[in-house]
Amino acid sequence: MDLATKFTLSASMLLTGFVIVFAVLFFLIFIIWFYGKIVTAGINSAEKRREKKKAAETKKQQEVKVQTVEPVATPKPVSNGVTDEVVAVISAAVYSMYGSTDKVKIKSIKKASGRSAWANAGVLNNTRPF
Amino acid sequence: MEILTRFLDALVGIYKGSGLSSLDWSNYVMIIIACALFYLAIKKQYEPLLLLPIAFGMLLVNLFPGIMAPPETTLLTEAQCQAQNIDIAGHATTVLNDVTYYHVPENGGLFYYLYQGVKLGIYPPLIFLGVGAMTDFGPLIANPKSFILGAAAQIGIFITFIGAIFFGFTAAQAGAIGIIGGADGPTAIFVTTKLAPELLGSIAIAAYSYMALVPIIQPPIMRALTTKKERAVQMEQLRPVSKLEKIIFPVIVVIIIAILLPDAAPLVGMLMLGNLLKESGVCERLSKTAQNELMNIVTIFLGTTVGATANGKTFLQMQTLFIIVLGLLAFCMGSACGVLFGKIMYKLTGGKVNPLIGSAGVSAVPMAARVSQKVGQEENPGNFLLMHAMGPNVAGVIGSAVAAGVLLNVLQ
Repeated sequence: MDLATKFTLSASMLLTGFVIVFAVLFFLIFIIWFYGKIVTAGINSAEKRREKKKAAETKKQQEVKVQTVEPVATPKPVSNGVTDEVVAVISAAVYSMYGSTDKVKIKSIKKASGRSAWANAGVLNNTRPF
Repeated sequence: MEILTRFLDALVGIYKGSGLSSLDWSNYVMIIIACALFYLAIKKQYEPLLLLPIAFGMLLVNLFPGIMAPPETTLLTEAQCQAQNIDIAGHATTVLNDVTYYHVPENGGLFYYLYQGVKLGIYPPLIFLGVGAMTDFGPLIANPKSFILGAAAQIGIFITFIGAIFFGFTAAQAGAIGIIGGADGPTAIFVTTKLAPELLGSIAIAAYSYMALVPIIQPPIMRALTTKKERAVQMEQLRPVSKLEKIIFPVIVVIIIAILLPDAAPLVGMLMLGNLLKESGVCERLSKTAQNELMNIVTIFLGTTVGATANGKTFLQMQTLFIIVLGLLAFCMGSACGVLFGKIMYKLTGGKVNPLIGSAGVSAVPMAARVSQKVGQEENPGNFLLMHAMGPNVAGVIGSAVAAGVLLNVLQ
């Protein structure tokens, strides 16, 4: 290889390598920047939509709460501070256990005094299945 | 008397078959070099996962060159075949001087077969599969400008090409030597097997040695080319990258590079496949296999067989010394160009980019990024450049594969 050929080969390789490597990587920079923008915009708009939806749901729940809470707010105590709802729940539980109301009569429902922590632990221990 | 004669014949036979009669001084020099590499790998822990298998391959091939011997066909007469209990049925024959000879194939050495993975360009892309599965391209996606530094660090490859041409190497050999500047072992091996397989041993050993010496070679270059003020620059925190961006990245990169530079497709394709296995989150088993078992198995095969190409007779030549010098030049030029482009970015961004991250554009992952972090922290202990340097570092892996594609396209 003579000197002129060496110079030509070297210069052409340097130019080709420099230009192609930079061109390809610059192209990648543009593509990554571009899809980064699209993905970020997509994620942001999805997040906004989610937040909007959440806000709407919260508002709706608050409205429902206001509507349903009002009648419950003034329950009529039957006896010893036990409300109709509690009586209904206890009656339903008894019915579901015995299957009929023929042999069972609920005579009274009294509010029990609060159990101590030890008593609660004992109940928990005896009622826990495993 | 006959017993003694037979005993002596056996001793002579063993001597003739042993390395004592077949090895020459060059093999013994290579054995000493292999032991020096053992020391560097075990005691100094310079890239031990690669240097140790390379050194052992070098040791074995210089003790028993037949381990790399290709399969051969021997011509034997019928009598010789019978004496060796060889079934002559099915063997091709040649008649010479009215004597019929049978073509009897002989198996090659163990490393000859393992070496086919290197020769056929199979191992380097498999290593890239594992590298892709271990790489987080997040810092590069967060700051795509890092690609500029990854490209800048490849300039050393093409400058060294010029040096090699003027040292008297052919264009293909010069391309293979230049790729050492990419500081990427698998890429260097991939390019060399295609352009100059006769230089594989020297180039692979030079490439891996310089990768191991990154913490020693780079800091003086980085300090010489930057001011104290530049080195102390603290960079802004990178933006978080979404999972979707990380999944799209490997697909887009492989589409663009495989279309523009098909020669780089095996390397970039496997790199991106590994990364997609990791980022998709649905192929955890495959990702783990690529990162661990497959990578380790291929590393053993690649290291030992590349080391086994360093036979004393072919390695101990003047051109090996030139390759080592040119490889060092390529590596230093790559690091310097990365830092210089870092300085340009520092100026253009009004001092927001620390030029030290430019040296990480040579791919040696993650060592080069760690060096940027260490040199930056010497000036400013509160400076954390690691994640910023990982961007150019992984860009360098893609950049060196692109540069390899250019070399293969132009020189093959």
